[in-house]
Amino acid sequence: MAVKRQLSMVLDLNKCIGCQTCTAACKLMWTNRNGREFMYWNNVETQPGLGYPRDYQNMGGGFDADGALRLGRQPSQEDYGIPWEYNYEEALMTGTDPWLRPHVKPTWGANWDEDQGEGDYPNSYYFYLPRLCNHCANPGCLAACTRNAIYKRQEDGIVLVDQERCRGYRYCVNACPYKKVYFNEQISKSEKCIFCYPRIEKGLATACAQQCVGRIRWIGYRDDEEGPIHQLVDKYQVALPLHPEWGTQPNVFYVPPLSPSKYAADGRELDEPRIPLAYLESLFGPRVGEVLDTLQAERQAKAEGRESELMDTLIGYKHAEMFKLS
Amino acid sequence: MTLRDLLPGSLALAMALTTAGAFADHTELNPNVNEIQPGDTVTVSELPEDIYLRVQNDPDDLIWDRLPMYRTTLLAAPPVHESVQLRFDEDATRGKHLYFQVARSSERFYIRLKWKDDSENRTTTVDDFRDGVAVQYALGDVDTSYMMGSGPDAPVNIWYWRADHEQRIENLAAGGYGSTTRLPEQRVSGASDYHPEAIPQDSEWHVVMSRPLAAEGEHEVSFDRDRVPMAFALWEGSDNERDGDKRVTHTWILLDPGAGDTQG
Repeated sequence: MAVKRQLSMVLDLNKCIGCQTCTAACKLMWTNRNGREFMYWNNVETQPGLGYPRDYQNMGGGFDADGALRLGRQPSQEDYGIPWEYNYEEALMTGTDPWLRPHVKPTWGANWDEDQGEGDYPNSYYFYLPRLCNHCANPGCLAACTRNAIYKRQEDGIVLVDQERCRGYRYCVNACPYKKVYFNEQISKSEKCIFCYPRIEKGLATACAQQCVGRIRWIGYRDDEEGPIHQLVDKYQVALPLHPEWGTQPNVFYVPPLSPSKYAADGRELDEPRIPLAYLESLFGPRVGEVLDTLQAERQAKAEGRESELMDTLIGYKHAEMFKLS
Repeated sequence: MTLRDLLPGSLALAMALTTAGAFADHTELNPNVNEIQPGDTVTVSELPEDIYLRVQNDPDDLIWDRLPMYRTTLLAAPPVHESVQLRFDEDATRGKHLYFQVARSSERFYIRLKWKDDSENRTTTVDDFRDGVAVQYALGDVDTSYMMGSGPDAPVNIWYWRADHEQRIENLAAGGYGSTTRLPEQRVSGASDYHPEAIPQDSEWHVVMSRPLAAEGEHEVSFDRDRVPMAFALWEGSDNERDGDKRVTHTWILLDPGAGDTQG
């Protein structure tokens, strides 16, 4: 879907510390009320892991090789995790309940498998994957909506659900392979990340990017050759979309994570990264190896005191350079 | 009214559906029920002035036992969008009986609907879809497509009852697929009752909807004419039915809102 300009985001997974500040920033700004409590428009999940909602990577959706919508499994409330509250008042204030307890028995939730990862010591591994709506160039949600309630803005490519048009059919929830559209039971309509468009329109970065303590997020227009997105995605080509095979052409890109070497049984360091390349390729496509080589070479250059424009960008010295919104 | 009056595009479909009754469940034969095929005319019963309805929309008011009962067969709607096609059950040719009654007083128009449903799906949640029923009226004549109207110039007015909001009827208009829009005038009221039975398959929804007789706004159906094309749609929540995934009347049933028989 051609738009005049496309806003994009790049996230450097080498810098994400899984602190969930982005998640909290988004939640406080948009989803802590009015039927959105269970939604994480932005979430940070541990990979390898089941993610949020649970096992979304195997739910289907997106497009097949012929460009036709693929029917997926509808995520259940249980897959998202049923939000629970604690009886703080009764347990801690009035003392009418001797136990502090959740009001529903928690059986699953976002980050239920946080920091579990894969592998055995000393070769266990995981990394954090922050996820938000990809504001795709070919949005599955938009294609699936029978009411033209989902649209992609010409001026910045942000994908929005028109709350006037939405009648809560949930085809979009199913069609988004990233499961980044959510059904709001309170209003019987679907909702999703709006890329903080009211902030963007004022020249401000999204809440998730602005608040990120690891400074892992860059925002800008893809066609801005002076901007960080063009530099990371097109010039150095170190930022890759998540699951490009799903056919939606995401506009959120990830710099894949380097990892320390694996150890042999006798304690020798092996010439093999802790996070298996094949695993990263299953997420970000076949170019991961190439990207990791570039990152390693540029990192080495910087370590040796040589110039590296790429590393200077990835360090993210100034917010003003990380967010280029004009 | 003959089938020739209907949309040419609908003709083949209508012909194909003349056998529809054969698919429907005929365990509920009732000589007091009039079988209605698309294209048939139904006369609106007129409530005598001395009949006083204690509750405006009581789905089980005694009056309904005294008015003619009609039955028509609804069949799966042809999918018109990829999302519906993906979920379309090719084997779902079995018809669904919908019973209906139509009446008017000097001030209001009433429609009562009744159908069997073994599950009462009253919630719209992440995991569940609600039951629903709708009546669609062409604002124009039968040349309007029975599938959501024929564009903005030949729209339909839809009264949509949803099981998740007691008393809530949505007054909608549409002019083509995907164009359903809530009208500024929300003057259609209604009520529903679910009657569970020992044999779940015999359980029934009873729904009544009504509106002041005089239309307001450009998209409310007018009953001040000789015939009003009317069609039904039914959504079974437990089958995840919503939107175009529904059972419908194929082509129009014709409503004669004029001088109805007074029975009762």
